[in-house]
Amino acid sequence: MTTTDQALSTGTWMRRFADTVRSTQAQLTALDQQVGDGDFGTNLSAGTVAALTRLDALDALTPLDACGATGAAAALEAAATAFLDEVGGTSGPLFGLLLQSLAASVAELGLTTPALTRGVVKGLAAIRRVGGAAPGDKTLVDALAPAAAALEALPARTVPAAALDAAAEAAWQGVRDTARLRARMGRSSYVGARAAGVPDPGAVAVALFFASAAGSVEDVTPYLSATWGTAAGPGVGHTPSGSATP
Amino acid sequence: MAPYFVNSTDTLVSDALAGFARAHADLLSLDPDHGFVTARAASPHRRVALLSGGGAGHEPMHAGYVGRGMLDAACPGRVFASPHNRQVYEGSLAVARAEGVLHIVKNYTGDRINFGIAAERLAHRGIPCARVLVDDDLASDCEQIAAGRRGTGGTVLIERILGGAADTGLGLAELQQLGVRLAARCRTLAVASAAHTAPTLGKPAFRVAAGELEYGVGIHGERARSTIRHAPLARLVERMTGELLGALAPRPGTAAITLVNGLGAVTPLELYAVHGELARVLDAQGIVLARSLVGDYVTALDMRGFSLTVLFAEPADLAYYDAPVHTAALRW
Repeated sequence: MTTTDQALSTGTWMRRFADTVRSTQAQLTALDQQVGDGDFGTNLSAGTVAALTRLDALDALTPLDACGATGAAAALEAAATAFLDEVGGTSGPLFGLLLQSLAASVAELGLTTPALTRGVVKGLAAIRRVGGAAPGDKTLVDALAPAAAALEALPARTVPAAALDAAAEAAWQGVRDTARLRARMGRSSYVGARAAGVPDPGAVAVALFFASAAGSVEDVTPYLSATWGTAAGPGVGHTPSGSATP
Repeated sequence: MAPYFVNSTDTLVSDALAGFARAHADLLSLDPDHGFVTARAASPHRRVALLSGGGAGHEPMHAGYVGRGMLDAACPGRVFASPHNRQVYEGSLAVARAEGVLHIVKNYTGDRINFGIAAERLAHRGIPCARVLVDDDLASDCEQIAAGRRGTGGTVLIERILGGAADTGLGLAELQQLGVRLAARCRTLAVASAAHTAPTLGKPAFRVAAGELEYGVGIHGERARSTIRHAPLARLVERMTGELLGALAPRPGTAAITLVNGLGAVTPLELYAVHGELARVLDAQGIVLARSLVGDYVTALDMRGFSLTVLFAEPADLAYYDAPVHTAALRW
């Protein structure tokens, strides 16, 4: 584990997520073409591009990494507003609710594991209130719920980068589980049995979001195979931090 | 082919909204950046703002109901599509009162999600927000439809009564509870003899065979779940009203507010004939026809059809309904 990883900034995390979405957009689109209307990769990309513009504007005012909890929350808030305001459809803005919730908890508690845990738990609750999806409905909730549970199980003193690793690992497991599910609602519900065996793209995006904290993810394919194990997996630009707890 | 009169179908909604705002500049103003309209004047007693919205193509709903005694703001989406959460969020910020804002939402998945996202954003900003979900369409009342009944014509009556109630200074929870009670006592059923013209194609969205009717249509140009033989008007209205009363099970002597609503291409002549039959059936059932509206209030572009709405009202509801209202499409 490097010092850089431990001193993760939310600005870096959001930028890495944007890199990830750029390099995996074609794969996300291919997934969504099997289970939905094929616009998910484009919508997610629109969100991260808009977020980058807002992050650049913020950076021009104050270097984000130097501003403690306020700066950390500002980067998340900027990304949240980008997803909420500038993305069409519903998946992008729902993703914005997760970012908004993280911004609120980080503003209060700083970039700490308790803040990440509270932000993800409350973001999950907001997404479920709005979208009405429960675990097992084959939506992004199937990746976010196990990520929230994994975060809640960590000691409060866990290094944030390690906590996000644990969240990513749990989310990927959730992604693999969605491949076995038949959708009751959301994009996949209209194609029914035809979506069997295909993971939900929204769930994949949630896993990519957490995994991007450690570095840009360039290829989602290895994560989607049934033989995927518990290691961090290939395709991660940065060397991910090793253990979930310090 | 029956082409629309447009500059472009892409700009039809924004062009119409600009013209609407100009025509009713005394009543409301348009925020062109975020795409919502707000009332210029509202009762000083109002503690909670009322906001609604939904797809375009249903004019005069919803912008036509912005004004004194009814909505504080309306957010129109594209034709038959939900408004973006940003419109609802920004519109709510613009009109929220001391006790927040009440969203009146027609029950469609897209509307529920977008209004819901806006509500979460308002909560993030510390602005109280509650929702009344209108789900009056009896034709979509079946177990196979997990999304539940659609929201249609009853929305106008509920917005009017809530507007009158809000002007008496009721709080957010009281208004929401009133709205929920009203929605529970309100049902609508619609029929069509021809589909609307799809704006982009200039052609009917679907064909109805001669001598047939689509029974139980919604307001988005989709086919109904059943097709029936075209019947004489008296028999048709008897059947529709019978189903509405069956669903609401009113006691004899209950007061009803009714709406005979044109879906866009039915003549006033026909609508009044429908109302005559409706009144006859209600009289025979011992229902008191307390108030009634007849005309185009919630349309589906130029669908050739009409809807019947019955809302059973308590005395307080009638007082709210009778209170002064001054909007583009409803005033007394």
